Formats: sequence, C-alpha cells, structure tokens
Amino acid sequence: MTYHLTLFVIVIILAVIAVMAKNMLFSAIALALVSIGVSLILFTFGSPWAAVFELSVCAGLITVLFISAISLIQKEEKFLNESRIRFMLLPLALIIAAIASWIYIVPFFESLSKYPHLNIHNYPLGQIIWKNRVFDLIGQICILAAGVFAIKSIFPRPVRDTRAKDLLKGAEKVNNK
Amino acid sequence: MTNIFSLDWYFISLLFFIGLYCMLVSRNMLRQIIGLEIMSKSCLLAIILSGVATNNVNLAQAIAITMILIEVVVVAIGLSVLIKAYRITGSIDLWKLSKLKG
Repeated sequence: MTYHLTLFVIVIILAVIAVMAKNMLFSAIALALVSIGVSLILFTFGSPWAAVFELSVCAGLITVLFISAISLIQKEEKFLNESRIRFMLLPLALIIAAIASWIYIVPFFESLSKYPHLNIHNYPLGQIIWKNRVFDLIGQICILAAGVFAIKSIFPRPVRDTRAKDLLKGAEKVNNK
Repeated sequence: MTNIFSLDWYFISLLFFIGLYCMLVSRNMLRQIIGLEIMSKSCLLAIILSGVATNNVNLAQAIAITMILIEVVVVAIGLSVLIKAYRITGSIDLWKLSKLKG
C-alpha cells in the first residue's frame, strides 16, 4: 500500500515539474518520467498489458516525438516570453485543489467503494480484444489511417512536375494582373 | 481511516487538475500538448481503477490500449500542426493563430 501511494506522490511531483520547468526539453523528459511512474502504478493494479503499452508507447514514442519537435523549434524558446508567475502559482493552486477534493471527492468515492462487484465472467485479455470487442479494432485502424492522412495533408509533397509549376506561375501572373 | 480506493481517486483528480491548469495557463502550444498528455494519463489511470473496482480488469485493459493508441495519434497530429504553424507564423504562440478567424 505504501509503495502504491508513494508512486502516486512521485508521479504528481514529476507532473508539477513537467508543467513548471522553463526548459522545454526538461519538461518533455519529466513527462516521460511521469509515463514510467504511471506504468509502474498500472503494474501494481494488476494490468501488465496496459502498463507495457504505456511504457513502450508513451514513455518511448511520444518522448521521441516531443524531443524532435523541440529540436525543430529550438530558436523559439528565446522569444516566447511567458510570465512565469502563473506557473509559479501552480503549487498554491494545487494545494487549494487538494484541500477541496479532500472535502468533496474523497467522501463521494468512499461511498462508491461499497459498490458491489459485478459477478461477470472475467475473460482473458486476448478473448476480449479479438472476440468481444473486435469492433474496437476497426475504430483503431480508422484512427490510425486518419492520423496518417492528416499528417500527409499537413506536410504535402513539394511540386516537382515542371508542367504543374508552369501552371502555378501562370495562375500567379493572372492573380497579379 | 480512508479507503485506499478513494485515496487513489484523490490522487488521480490532482493529476487531472495539474494538466488542466497547464492547459488553461500557458500560451505555448507545446505546453498545451504536455497538459493534454498529463490529463489523458490521469484518465487512463481512472479507467484501469474503475476496472479494478468492478472486478473486470481485462476489459479495462482493452479499453486502455485503445486509448493509448488514440493518444499517440492525437499527439502526433498536434505536434505536426505545431511545426506547420511555426513555419507559417514563425512562432508557437497560440494567440498568433488568430489569423484563422478570417
């Protein structure tokens, strides 16, 4: 129990660091550490598959994406000057939220904890994914395809065809006239 | 003595609040995506915890895997929009996207 709650506290501290850090690279690395902490919590909940996905995808792939994006916009860090006061107020706001949620949220979930456990068949994960919720796979494929098409439309290929270039130049001339 | 179940929900709500605060306060697009990530992580923990509470962890895991996949696609598209906006406007400030108003 103490291990479990310690992990939660560490995750929250790392999330605060990720929000408050001035350097974006440091922030992205703190976010990766948050992912690692979340995956350890998922292991303690007895859900290893979700934990492995979280560890490999969120702590690995998303961190790589973030760091590559930060390296592409490195110069921007010098001229986007946000006021740091709002970020420095985060611990204060967090303390207020902690007190409020201790008053309102904890009693609510205290009453929910007496909720009777469902006596349903706890099927293995493979059967749930491939048989019971197979329609989700179609949705996942659609979302992946949508992501690929969105990125392709955001970064279109440069026009290499000379004929198409001529047409574009002609259109520009007409527009200028 | 409070129950461990309600303590878990307490910490999850705090994690959600941190992400929400980050999204509300910052003008930096990258920090907005970081706030979204933190919020989605708290939602992931909430899904798994509700699965544990109703004695149905495997179904919660199946939904969590779907959610992680959606999260990755959202982050990838968000970062590509960010880089495109940086190339066009020369800034990652959200307020400079007001040209989209027409």
